[in-house]
Amino acid sequence: MTRTFGWPALHRPGTGRRNSIRHALAVAGCGLALVLALPPARAAEGGLPATASDADSSPEWDKLREKLFASRTVDATPGTVQIIAPRRAAYGASVPVRIVSKLPQTPSLYVKRLYLLVDKNPSPLAAVLELTPDVGQADFETRLRVDEYSHVRVVAELSNGQLHTDSRYVKTSGGCSAPPNRDALNLIGKTVLKVAEHVTMGEPNAAEVTVVHPNDTGFELNQVTVMYIPAHFVRSIKVSYAGRKVFDADLDFSISENPTLHFNFVPHGRGELKAEVEDSIDGHWVGRLAVP
Amino acid sequence: MPTVLAKVYRRRTDTRAFVMASCLVLCLALVTTAAAASGIPAPYSPVVIEPIGVPSRYEFDLSAALERARRENKWLYVYLGASDCPYCRRYEAFLEQNATELVPHFAARYIVVDLRSALSVTSRLLFIRVGDRVLSYADFQRAIGDERARMLVYPSVWLFDKDATPLMQMPAGTGTFQTVPEQLEILRLEQ
Repeated sequence: MTRTFGWPALHRPGTGRRNSIRHALAVAGCGLALVLALPPARAAEGGLPATASDADSSPEWDKLREKLFASRTVDATPGTVQIIAPRRAAYGASVPVRIVSKLPQTPSLYVKRLYLLVDKNPSPLAAVLELTPDVGQADFETRLRVDEYSHVRVVAELSNGQLHTDSRYVKTSGGCSAPPNRDALNLIGKTVLKVAEHVTMGEPNAAEVTVVHPNDTGFELNQVTVMYIPAHFVRSIKVSYAGRKVFDADLDFSISENPTLHFNFVPHGRGELKAEVEDSIDGHWVGRLAVP
Repeated sequence: MPTVLAKVYRRRTDTRAFVMASCLVLCLALVTTAAAASGIPAPYSPVVIEPIGVPSRYEFDLSAALERARRENKWLYVYLGASDCPYCRRYEAFLEQNATELVPHFAARYIVVDLRSALSVTSRLLFIRVGDRVLSYADFQRAIGDERARMLVYPSVWLFDKDATPLMQMPAGTGTFQTVPEQLEILRLEQ
């Protein structure tokens, strides 16, 4: 959708409605650095300093860590898992994020689970990926909505129970309230799998799955009706190869529209790469790709 | 009695005229101030580029600025602002307020280019020219590998080397670099 950004009704000063919407946007989410451009101030919106470092904690992370991992040690020493994201992305609604695992996936020790978090998002737990050794290499790539200045974190849970983390401080805003791209609503659920032209048996091969879906957050404004669009997003993507699970992804609306996951898988012969998709209002779709 | 009414009427007329005249003066002052405040502040010595082809198209020609960048061995800090965009005014006000601190950093490495547009100029109307090549906003963005092809946002900033190659992917808007340390991060190309 092509738009210029100004300020529709949202930015006219002074009304209670405007204030409540602004508050909703601030709490919710995400957006247009553009629309919610910050006033000239030394501190970033959201209370985090503009100079926060990648490794810093945050009040949100402190709470999340306790909820998710209780008293378990979460090791932030570099060397096991890394998260790569730009300091500033083109759009808050589509921040590219790459998870790189330094640990080979072997049956004896492998990355069993990956947690992807955005501290300041209304729903901070963006994704939980349940992996098998069949991913070969536990590297993933996707795009996230990042609502405001926030740390983006990955926690890797190994098969021996160890937890390792890495984080990146991302400066953006408005990812959750960005005007949605609704150009392909007729294609919702279309699930496309891709692999490289030449697939190597017994080795990790790069692949990707994309689901055409608006992944509505519930915080996006319909520009015509000026009503909020109800939340409607991809809940899970289960990927298997030749009947064997590769990974299951539990997702949330912090994943950008048209959710895409770049991953690896290890084929041991001809088979079918399959992605089973479910969304938050019980939509079910399946994508298939014969390999090689 | 008529005399009294006439006096009251005259007083009201005078008052009304005075109020109207005052409003007119105030409005003119505001318009003048707004016009003066629009665009990159003078201490940054911006190269102001007005669009040509208006109103059917708004074409901004970067060729001369790039030529100067080549001569002076500098990069371009290209700012696209809109005359009626409050977020542009905020960024410009930020630059103005922090000129003493920021101008030396800009001047050391960049030529600042100020493209003057308006919110009504959508991506379909906006064109960028580099030499003989003219591309619409989205095509230009795609050609240089800028992810912001999808949406035209005011204000926007590009950082180019002397060959019009982007120095880094910039965010939509300027809200994430409206503090001095963050503006300096941008100038240093920190990603």
